[in-house]
Amino acid sequence: MEFVPHEVGDFACSSRQTIAEIVYTPDSIRRHGWHVWGVIISEFLNSRELIWRLILRDVSARYRQSMLGYLWVGLPSIVTVTVFAALTQSGTIPVAETSLPYIFYALWSISVWQLFAGCLNACTNSLANAGSLVSKVNFPKEALVIAAIGHPLLDFIIRLVLVAGVYIWYGIPLKAQIVFVPFILLPVILLATGLSFVLSVINLVLRDIGNILGMTLTFGMFLAPVLYPPPTTWPSSLINILNPFSPLLIASQDVIGSGLLSRPQSFLFACLFSLLVFLVGWRFFRLTIIRVSTSS
Amino acid sequence: MPKDVLINVEHVSKKYCRSLKRSMLYGVQDVACDMFGLDGHNGQLRKNEFWAIDDVSFEIERGECLGIIGPNGAGKSTLLKMLNGIILPDKGKITIRGRVGALIELGAGFHPMLTGRENIYVNGAILGLRRKEIDRKLEEIVAFADLEDSIDSPVKFYSSGMYVRLGFAVAAHLNPDVLLIDEVLAVGDVSFRLKCFTHVRSLVESGSGIILVTHSQNDIARVCGRGIVLSQGRQLVSDSLAQAIRQYQELLQRTLSKASREPRDTPVRLKAVRTLDSQRMAARHFRSGEHVLVDIHYESEISANDCVFVIKLASHELGEFVSFTNRVAGQTIPISMGSGNTIVRLRNVPLLGGNYIVQVHMYNAEMKIFWDQAVPACTFDIIEPNPEIWKEFHTLRLEHDWLINPKCSVESFT
Repeated sequence: MEFVPHEVGDFACSSRQTIAEIVYTPDSIRRHGWHVWGVIISEFLNSRELIWRLILRDVSARYRQSMLGYLWVGLPSIVTVTVFAALTQSGTIPVAETSLPYIFYALWSISVWQLFAGCLNACTNSLANAGSLVSKVNFPKEALVIAAIGHPLLDFIIRLVLVAGVYIWYGIPLKAQIVFVPFILLPVILLATGLSFVLSVINLVLRDIGNILGMTLTFGMFLAPVLYPPPTTWPSSLINILNPFSPLLIASQDVIGSGLLSRPQSFLFACLFSLLVFLVGWRFFRLTIIRVSTSS
Repeated sequence: MPKDVLINVEHVSKKYCRSLKRSMLYGVQDVACDMFGLDGHNGQLRKNEFWAIDDVSFEIERGECLGIIGPNGAGKSTLLKMLNGIILPDKGKITIRGRVGALIELGAGFHPMLTGRENIYVNGAILGLRRKEIDRKLEEIVAFADLEDSIDSPVKFYSSGMYVRLGFAVAAHLNPDVLLIDEVLAVGDVSFRLKCFTHVRSLVESGSGIILVTHSQNDIARVCGRGIVLSQGRQLVSDSLAQAIRQYQELLQRTLSKASREPRDTPVRLKAVRTLDSQRMAARHFRSGEHVLVDIHYESEISANDCVFVIKLASHELGEFVSFTNRVAGQTIPISMGSGNTIVRLRNVPLLGGNYIVQVHMYNAEMKIFWDQAVPACTFDIIEPNPEIWKEFHTLRLEHDWLINPKCSVESFT
């Protein structure tokens, strides 16, 4: 019999019977200890298809009722960059010399930022937007959070077309190190998803989280070297370290620009931090979702 | 666990908190306990908490259909959520063998902009179906939902009936070992409901175990072989379906008698209403076909040549289903000052077994001035000792005869 167990309970598949047995007890969720990660990963693998299906649903439904369609993905960043380019060029906002041509620098950085902010926003609201799906249907709820990455990621890829166009326009010399960019973006996504694992659960109980996050992300862009080069003087240089997003962004700028990491230690630290946030967030999510799922 | 047992529920309890703020506080405490692997307060009640489910145990074997019945707030949905793994019990243990399907939230995850076909894949994936399984069953699902014409239009153009039908069709094709049903059979038009019942019955025959949660004693009697009555989270002990239904009727009766009437400031007021048997002795239990007398006592500050009594009978499933008045019967009922009473005799009451509610409304002769009402005024039971009679499930027993092989052909009908 083909059967995919995805419940929270403990599984005991005896060799004689092919039918899975699910047991729910008050401490089903805590009992696993260290091998909990085995369960988490096997459940994740089992819900790959569900995640893919949810991504398809979100992506294909998104622009069905719009004329400009995917143009909306690139348009806002063009507007922002144009405004900032005008402001910096005219000297209204003094910005130090960037390692890459300013327009390209800002466009790329904004794209990375929007990937981060988009993931954080979409994942955090994923549970609250799912409504009674969370409170009434038994399925791995992580799938909702993880599938929410799909849309911002697709947006990012579409924006890359624009970025690539500007890249060619400026004739920036192509470096082999550019192949490392995906490995820098991975921790960006892990960080956003890890944070969202925690925030999405809290958002289910307190809807303020979604609003606070929306507000924070508006200003958040200025707390990372997105539209200006990484500050070199203390104390403003703190944002290069204290904001866990900054080292990842700087590393991506370095790889495209000089091909050399300017702050390898802080990049490594940010990678480990992102992974830790992701794992702790996931564990937190699994422990808490069953307690809060009825309050949505 | 014996081989044929699909669900085993052992001494399961679940508590809830009445205050929202406290429930959040307790939630934080519990999550903290879970995080650090500490033993929480699962066993005891804290301030403002109560047992929504208290020490419930039962078993379901292959091919069995269990009905869980109880008034609103008895904990039926909580129990179902625990069986479905949405929430964990605070005490006890639930063991389930096999794939669980739930007809609880139909059309979960439907996206209004997507077509019915696309939504079948989304909904199926959420319910745990693999793509290949859905590919194989797609035709069947569409045919079951009766949506061949509109399967490729966005579901936002669907009527609510079409929406639910599609949701049911996907959920019904899970081929579950255990199916949980939460009163969803009450949706859709008659032919679709019939299809649902047939489908459920075929699942039972193919060896699935079914739990039907409802507050309709008719549904229980029709589909289930066994019943459990829940009252305020506790399980009432019963050995048979018929006994469970009786217990449920008594429960409803008790909740009704608690409902108080507000005093009215009118010249004529109802004082008391009770049922009598043919010897004019107070009685509450009758057999089908007996006379039922309704004795109405009132108090009046005026005298009148005539007045109108409207009496309605209601059942818990149908609501009000029949009414009669002395106006239609062509009888005048004069009223004198002080207290008085009127008896209305219902002859050979053709009701089937069940609990019935009497409502009394009182008007002046022209039916222009409303004097008083008693809703509910009182209730009575029609006792049905033979459980087979539950197979006649629609309230009234019409007098009828069966003609076996009568000498007329089908052609003579037309």
